[in-house]
Amino acid sequence: MAKRLALRLDYCIGCRACEAACRSRFKGEARIRYGETATTALLPMACRHCTDPLCAAACPFEVIRRDEATGVVFQSSFHCVGCRSCALACPFGVIDTNLRRRISQKCSLCDDRPEGPRCAATCPTGALQFVEESELPEKQVGVALSARSPNWRRG
Amino acid sequence: MSAVRTTCPFCLCGCESVVTAGYQYRMEYPADARVNQGRLCPRGNSASLVVDHPKRLAYPLLDGREVSWDRAMSYCRDALSASKPEELAIVYSRGLTDAEVRLVRGFARSQGVSNLVCGYIEPGNCFVRRLKGVKAATLDDVRTAKTMLLVGDVFSTSPVAAGPMVEARYKDRRNRLIVIDCIKTRQAGFAHLFLQVKPGTEPFALVGIAALLDRALAGVDVARFASLSGIEQQQLEQAAAMLGNGPGFVGSSMSLGRNAYPVLHSLASQLVALKAGMPFTGFAEARVSEGEMSFGQLRQAAGEERVKSLFWFGGMYPYSYPELLPEATKLEHRVATSIFRPERAIPGLVLPVPSELEKESVGHSYWGEVNRHAVAAPCSGSRTVGRILGELASVAETPEKPLPAAGVEEALKMAAGAAATHVPGPGPVLVGEKKAIGIGGLYEAEADVCVNPTAAQGLGVVKGSCVVLTTRTGTGEFLVHLTDAVPAGVLSIGVNRHGNRVLFPLEFDAAGTAAMPPVRVEVRRSATAPRPAPKTKAIA
Repeated sequence: MAKRLALRLDYCIGCRACEAACRSRFKGEARIRYGETATTALLPMACRHCTDPLCAAACPFEVIRRDEATGVVFQSSFHCVGCRSCALACPFGVIDTNLRRRISQKCSLCDDRPEGPRCAATCPTGALQFVEESELPEKQVGVALSARSPNWRRG
Repeated sequence: MSAVRTTCPFCLCGCESVVTAGYQYRMEYPADARVNQGRLCPRGNSASLVVDHPKRLAYPLLDGREVSWDRAMSYCRDALSASKPEELAIVYSRGLTDAEVRLVRGFARSQGVSNLVCGYIEPGNCFVRRLKGVKAATLDDVRTAKTMLLVGDVFSTSPVAAGPMVEARYKDRRNRLIVIDCIKTRQAGFAHLFLQVKPGTEPFALVGIAALLDRALAGVDVARFASLSGIEQQQLEQAAAMLGNGPGFVGSSMSLGRNAYPVLHSLASQLVALKAGMPFTGFAEARVSEGEMSFGQLRQAAGEERVKSLFWFGGMYPYSYPELLPEATKLEHRVATSIFRPERAIPGLVLPVPSELEKESVGHSYWGEVNRHAVAAPCSGSRTVGRILGELASVAETPEKPLPAAGVEEALKMAAGAAATHVPGPGPVLVGEKKAIGIGGLYEAEADVCVNPTAAQGLGVVKGSCVVLTTRTGTGEFLVHLTDAVPAGVLSIGVNRHGNRVLFPLEFDAAGTAAMPPVRVEVRRSATAPRPAPKTKAIA
């Protein structure tokens, strides 16, 4: 079973350490971003590694592919031409359209680091976790959140 | 390739990290670290970017031009010989190790200089002022806490320290977290009881709670203190009752533009801890000991031209931030140290020094003593403060004088004095939010101003509007971000950026301690189209 990034919403303090860790690895370009979700909440946004990725379907040169063994959707930056098709196709808006190196940035779950992604390693409260899909909490995140934090700040 | 395990120097949390040198510096997260289990905040993560930052200063600058070290040192000797000891001021600030601060003290003594000033004017440094009888909190106190009182935005000051607090809050349904702040921060979202006070009035609410915990405190009118901070007395009683829930701790933090009475804030937080029988921690980026002279007195002396030469060691550099010391233009000789190249040509001498990451030192943290190791060789062309001082004079380390702890009566007297003179300003008030976002503005332009959605209708602005904020010290353009985190009548901006800080006036109390209080602001819509980054300038 593949491991995935999971966010425990009620532990997130909005410090943006995940984004900073990603930036420090990729020299100024973050692949996980702390952004606005549905214009109501500010939360970390990372690639979902979809089963049938639309970014891969939109890519004209098959630069983005899905590793069937691990389920990771990865990109070969060597062949990317920076056409932004993947950024426009992504239904979650996690691929940045602002291309600093003229190629798109795509989360690969830090496949160069055996322990797992840096964003999950650095999260100060353990809100962002790298867990097996089977370990994902059964609880409804929203229910836990409203029950625990009456003062929850969204924006 | 080498990997160095060190302790993060950017705040007092004492987080351990590994910096790997190779083609580029990279961070690694040691999971066996005692304090942080490998977790790091955005500031800690930016360590690898600071070491090989493209703006690092690699040669001395004299009036904006590169000069040799020989020329630079002869300028320093001229500065020393041209002025009498009483016309010389020596300032030390954050960015120096404890040993270097002791060397600067030794240098001042060897030159017979009594104008020795602590230039670190962040309000968080006022936590060096201790109240008699208050115990320091340990990491175990935080992990096993059943009741937590947090004043100000502790989570933003030290996000990694927030980890055990959030865990303690969720550990048991009966555990309680109380937050006192003027804006609803993310931290307030975790609170069971959130006391949203008027900007800058946290100390009054705290003294009120202390008086409810100990009815014997003389001369405290709880109802009046509650109304000064803009909350109901019942809420203070609720907080005082919650503090009896079980063992815990009191944590306090301050930000530029948020706290009107930093010394009183520090003492009032400790007073609550004392009366609740809890340990206390003041969360701050750095702890720099007090000098012989306060920063306000230095400004006065420079204004009256009693000081002619200035030596400034460490950060918060007065010329890249001229509002800090506008009198610096009157000085004859100016010597300062810097890690980064100044953004514009500035008068006087700037000496390149190694950053905190390139020095071996023994320092302190909230939870005890820590060792810091050099993760890289010093930046080429830089010289350590010890070497610079050694070339000017023979110096020996001189220990600091410990500051005497204040008594309860002194704190109450200070609170009564502040309450008597406190004037709540009419109109919208601007407050500052300091977040742990990278070093030297590496991460954020801080172009947003937070506005309450209902207040936005009255101001005639919508989300993304460009507004011009004008205070009595500065003006700036910002983009509107609508959020209910700020109440109507309060606007908030980030203060990590120097350009945003000019909107807050720098004020000094009778003892010369600096404060940047919340300030009255005028808001109008900008005639120009929204811009991604604001342009701010100080009003002369």
